[in-house]
Amino acid sequence: METLEQIKARAEATVPGAQLSVVKNDSPCAQHSLLVDVEHAYVVAQFLRDDPQLRLDYCSNVTGVDFLDAELSEKVKVKKVVDGVEKEVEEVKKTKRAGYLEVVYHLYSMSLKHGPVILRQRTPGRADPVKVASLTPLWRSAEFQEREVFDLYGVLFDGHPDLRRILMWDGFKDYPMRKDYREPDDYEYEPTPHDEVLEKAKAHLPKQEVKA
Amino acid sequence: MDDGLRNELSKQGVVVVKLEELYNWGRKNSVWPLSFGLACCAIEMMAASMARYDLSRFGAEVFRPSPRQADLMIVAGTVTKKMAPQVVRLYNQMPEPKYVIAMGACAISGGPFKQGYNVLKGIDRYIPVDVHIPGCPPRPEALIHAFMTLQRKIDAQKLTGPDRARHLNAELPSEFPVPLFGEHDLVPTKNPNVWEPAVVVR
Amino acid sequence: MPGDKHPYLFLLVFFVMAVGFAVGPLILAMLWAKLFSPAKPGEMKNATYECGLESKGDAWVAFKSEYYLYGILFLLFDVETIFLLPFCVAFTGLSVGAVLAMLIFVLLLVEGLAWAWVKGVLTWK
Repeated sequence: METLEQIKARAEATVPGAQLSVVKNDSPCAQHSLLVDVEHAYVVAQFLRDDPQLRLDYCSNVTGVDFLDAELSEKVKVKKVVDGVEKEVEEVKKTKRAGYLEVVYHLYSMSLKHGPVILRQRTPGRADPVKVASLTPLWRSAEFQEREVFDLYGVLFDGHPDLRRILMWDGFKDYPMRKDYREPDDYEYEPTPHDEVLEKAKAHLPKQEVKA
Repeated sequence: MDDGLRNELSKQGVVVVKLEELYNWGRKNSVWPLSFGLACCAIEMMAASMARYDLSRFGAEVFRPSPRQADLMIVAGTVTKKMAPQVVRLYNQMPEPKYVIAMGACAISGGPFKQGYNVLKGIDRYIPVDVHIPGCPPRPEALIHAFMTLQRKIDAQKLTGPDRARHLNAELPSEFPVPLFGEHDLVPTKNPNVWEPAVVVR
Repeated sequence: MPGDKHPYLFLLVFFVMAVGFAVGPLILAMLWAKLFSPAKPGEMKNATYECGLESKGDAWVAFKSEYYLYGILFLLFDVETIFLLPFCVAFTGLSVGAVLAMLIFVLLLVEGLAWAWVKGVLTWK
């Protein structure tokens, strides 16, 4: 199979205006992924599926990722004049990054027996409504998994044929897999609490009278 | 009748029992469970009813597929919040007398999934549970032990008097309110008539 | 003395016993319920549907008429198999009349199939 850079170059040539970038994965598995903008996601995905050299005809997995607002710290080498001598000094540069949600697709080719190519769509922010393009018309296997991402992360899929909650009930308002989800406080009875549960159970402990 | 006379009679081949004993003896030896499994504990429940462990020795071989014909509900597995109203509704549809065994860590407390967003922390928040079995999953022997515990419990139930069994008392309910799906959780989160959190002092 | 009794008295005894066996336990159960075990009916307990879910919508929905036609066509092949198998086994020992009758029977069935085919029933819409 081609490298991700080659795929990116060919996709950009085929789909004019598509903003693609390669997201590096520095861990030993080195599964780099292809980030695509929401407007062109459908066309790029169609290219990935129908291109005779790729033919990624099987979408094995769709998942959501939640990134909270974060402060990133980066070490930057800056040249500075210290005591009259120019030196390279490491400085920690801090940048604020707005949070976003991502939907990740793992694509394989059954006919050419290669893969995976990992495709990501990123929403601009975490506030509602967060919309990405649905790839269910291209890969039928994405249907339930996109519903699950909608159910648990609140990502709206444009063009999904049947976007309903799948695990939680219909009247449920929260998105439980988002990192800022707070579950209902039902820790009133905890016989052996520890760690997080202990903290939550403490709120329910009867007020103990301190003996003098 | 005192025990001495009863022993004397039984030596002569005459068995004398109270009506209550006869009634309970009959009931405890024909407890029909509802064939109803929620998760992996149900596999152990099936194993318990098969030839090796043979739950039918205790009169419980007939797993009924309808709540109308069942006496015992074995809540075998994780009760999700989405499933909890259905479990309560099934329990309500069982005829009296009815009993509940909460099988496994999940059914009694939420178990390993208790911090999950969709897991009920114990079915005893909504329906009265007679026997709890811990374990993940409990072995068939544990289920049989729970079953024998239930039999002892049935055997001790009174036919008359103020502390008679629930199904014999017209004032005690046989249906329990079904929780509704709320916006963030089940509404109500527990039935205070059935379950109150035990006070944990530490 | 057997002569004193009516010859059909045993029938009456059997009848009383049979009714007694059927009605006796029912009366016992009613007495038991009245004495000890009160009835506790409820809206949910008496609900028709018994799988734990609430029934939605109406049970009186129209089925597609294709189901009915498919049932009829299935019957056609079903009956054909049942009759053809013994026919094949006993084929050599049959008289000309029997073979003709069988052929007419099969022809009737084939006619039914041909009619359904021409009507376009076999294509699922």
